[in-house]
Amino acid sequence: MADAPETTPTHRTPPLPDEAAVIARAAAGDRMAFTQLMEHYQSACYGLAWRLLSDPDRAADATQDAFIHAYRAMGSYRGGIFRSWLLRITANASYDILRRAQRRPSSPLPDPEEGAPELPDLGAVNPVAEATKSELYRHLEVALKRLPEDQRTAVVLCDVYGMDYNEVAAMTHSALGTVKSRIHRGRLRLRELMAEHRELFSA
Amino acid sequence: MLIPNHPHDERLSALASGETDATADATLTAHVASCTRCTGLIDELGALRAALADLPDVAPSRPLRLLPAVESAPASAADRLGGWARRFFAPVLASGAAIALVGVIGTAAPSMSGQASGPDSGGDTFGTVAQEEAAASEAAAAAPSDAAAGGAPAAAESLRSAAEPLADSGELSAVTASPMAAYEAPDRSSDEREPASAPTTISAERSPWPMVLFAGVALMIGALVLRWILVPRAS
Repeated sequence: MADAPETTPTHRTPPLPDEAAVIARAAAGDRMAFTQLMEHYQSACYGLAWRLLSDPDRAADATQDAFIHAYRAMGSYRGGIFRSWLLRITANASYDILRRAQRRPSSPLPDPEEGAPELPDLGAVNPVAEATKSELYRHLEVALKRLPEDQRTAVVLCDVYGMDYNEVAAMTHSALGTVKSRIHRGRLRLRELMAEHRELFSA
Repeated sequence: MLIPNHPHDERLSALASGETDATADATLTAHVASCTRCTGLIDELGALRAALADLPDVAPSRPLRLLPAVESAPASAADRLGGWARRFFAPVLASGAAIALVGVIGTAAPSMSGQASGPDSGGDTFGTVAQEEAAASEAAAAAPSDAAAGGAPAAAESLRSAAEPLADSGELSAVTASPMAAYEAPDRSSDEREPASAPTTISAERSPWPMVLFAGVALMIGALVLRWILVPRAS
């Protein structure tokens, strides 16, 4: 788990064909190039924010905050997988919003126990996704929303987005042991929640 | 083979994700190798992780602004100063107004209360007290001179009457009271020459309220001037 996945999963946005050149232009201040990059990766960033925040509006706000941070930080981008770099920024922006929402009980995040969360169209990025896969994803998303927030954050960052334990610990200002424990407990809880849909995994 | 004393599920999850402390644990790996229940759980966790890693990206719920507005471009020093000025303008102006209000109330209150009560009530209260004190000290001051003239019994009687309230409460004898009273008398009598006007003069000289009013107004003017200078205006 020490390294991020080098290949993009099937249903995730692949890199732009001429990504290195577009990144170089954006880093040099080309606003059109920056727009092209953000347009390309907006579903990736929004998906992460939505999984962390469980709220479409806040996820959109977090994604736009991340774009502003990315715009300011483009000059300091030093190579590596651009998608991972952008997702780290998005995770930080989302986590900030999560913390602010927790400090203000007057505007709480949606309670995952109050019925199934409203799911976006998961086939939007890959319209030909198999029906079984779509069904598995749907149940997984519902189960993720039902995890306690600290476990969900750790599992989403680590297992869904491939961040390593140290990155998750730094991002959530938690001890490494705490993060590991949250991830393991989160996975075991997910396994329980998915028990009745076990057949979907083997499809 | 199903064997008892399974390791904790969190240890199995650690093994499933290849954590080195779990993979190096010979007892754990030996157990898993021979336990169908634990092998099954590790397989399930592996399938779960694979599915999580494959979750698709999600299209935004509404169109997003992809490019920050021009003003959110990397901020220059002047922009940052303007930002600070804009942020602190309202609180500083409000504090200045509050301080000035306190200053106004503090400055106006004594003169208003003076007009309301009039010269008869406030002035008279002080005057009465001062007159009583002056009378008492005169009586006490008279004692040593009477004693020097040889009227000792009369002096002792007048002294006792002057020091009576003190003697009643504090067990003060006439002998010890006598030099003290003689010592204090000249000071007191000089203090009481202008009993009604002296306190008023002192309080007017030392009143902090006009300064508070001035500080509040200065703070408000300062905030306005700094905002005018630092915050960029639309041309």
